[in-house]
Amino acid sequence: MNDRKLSLGYINSVLYDLEKAFWDERGRGARFRVTTVGREYFLDKCLPKIQSQDLDAIIKAVEDVLTEEGIVLGQSHLVEDRLLHIRVEGCLHQDVERKLAAKDVEPFTCIPANLVALAIEQVLRRPVELAEIKLEDGACNLLLVLFEPRDADV
Amino acid sequence: MERNELIQAVDFVIHERRSIRQYTDEPVSEEDLRMILEAARQAPSGENAQPWRFIIVKDPETRKLLGAIGAGGSGRRFTAEFVTKQMHERFKGLEDEEKRKAVFEKLTSGNVSAFLADAPVDIVVCGKKKVWDLPYDTSAAIENMLLMATALGLGTCWVIAPCIDIRDEERIKRLLDVPEDYKVISVISVGHPTRPHRPRPRLSLHELVHAEKWGTPYYKEEEA
Repeated sequence: MNDRKLSLGYINSVLYDLEKAFWDERGRGARFRVTTVGREYFLDKCLPKIQSQDLDAIIKAVEDVLTEEGIVLGQSHLVEDRLLHIRVEGCLHQDVERKLAAKDVEPFTCIPANLVALAIEQVLRRPVELAEIKLEDGACNLLLVLFEPRDADV
Repeated sequence: MERNELIQAVDFVIHERRSIRQYTDEPVSEEDLRMILEAARQAPSGENAQPWRFIIVKDPETRKLLGAIGAGGSGRRFTAEFVTKQMHERFKGLEDEEKRKAVFEKLTSGNVSAFLADAPVDIVVCGKKKVWDLPYDTSAAIENMLLMATALGLGTCWVIAPCIDIRDEERIKRLLDVPEDYKVISVISVGHPTRPHRPRPRLSLHELVHAEKWGTPYYKEEEA
């Protein structure tokens, strides 16, 4: 059953419909309800590959998983103080964002961004916020904000 | 009470309600708290499902954690708005540079939602998931609470920052042992206001109301 192949067109059309329905229901607030999408995949595939507490190494570990699994063709990042810029090329789900943008819906969720955020939060206890998803030249440019580590109790 | 007095009282309470974020140390009496919760209990709900549940939080340590979660949520959300310049666009009408800077700092710090730590009572509103109309039902109950509190001379604030992001909602659920089949909807702070507050501006009925179909104002500009 797990080996059955699914068409990417089918997956993305269903994802698009789901995201659009969620946007129609919740508007701009939808983005806050999908910040943990990808968590199971993160725990299963990414977390075991993270061997370091170094921010760059954590992000790189997630990037490696995404490229090795063929989810993205390439991913790179740049940390600038508290800003984290990520460029995702050839993401399997880019058509979803493109279709949303065509309907004048600002893309509000991104699995690679979520995986990176989940990794940083889990390993460093640093909250992360996805601020922007920009579609440019066949790639997605993501802007995330990194915050100081939170207290253990919160 | 005469009908006219009743109308005036309801109208007064609706117009007097403010979002209060600063409270005195005076506790909220049990009588007042019960009146507020009774008002919530009387709210309408789809199929009379009454999916609302309330957690009364008075413990200072728990309130402190709610304040921290709220501040964290607001801080992240507003900082994202700030770094993408959406906040600058939102406040472009505020010309005083110093004031604008102060607003930006207050919002991005998250302090705008930290006051949950200082309210004498926080009411955490939860909703049962296995009903049809959860967000609408619980919102009706919350508005009833705000209006009753206003009538009692208390101040309230309907705060969504601690639970709008699913990550923060999960923290609150862990903190307060909220079961999986319930959702945390909002936190309502309740207390005695430190000072009177002016009303915030409202859109006119001319802008809000359409006649028969979308597009034709029901009220002329001068009537609204």
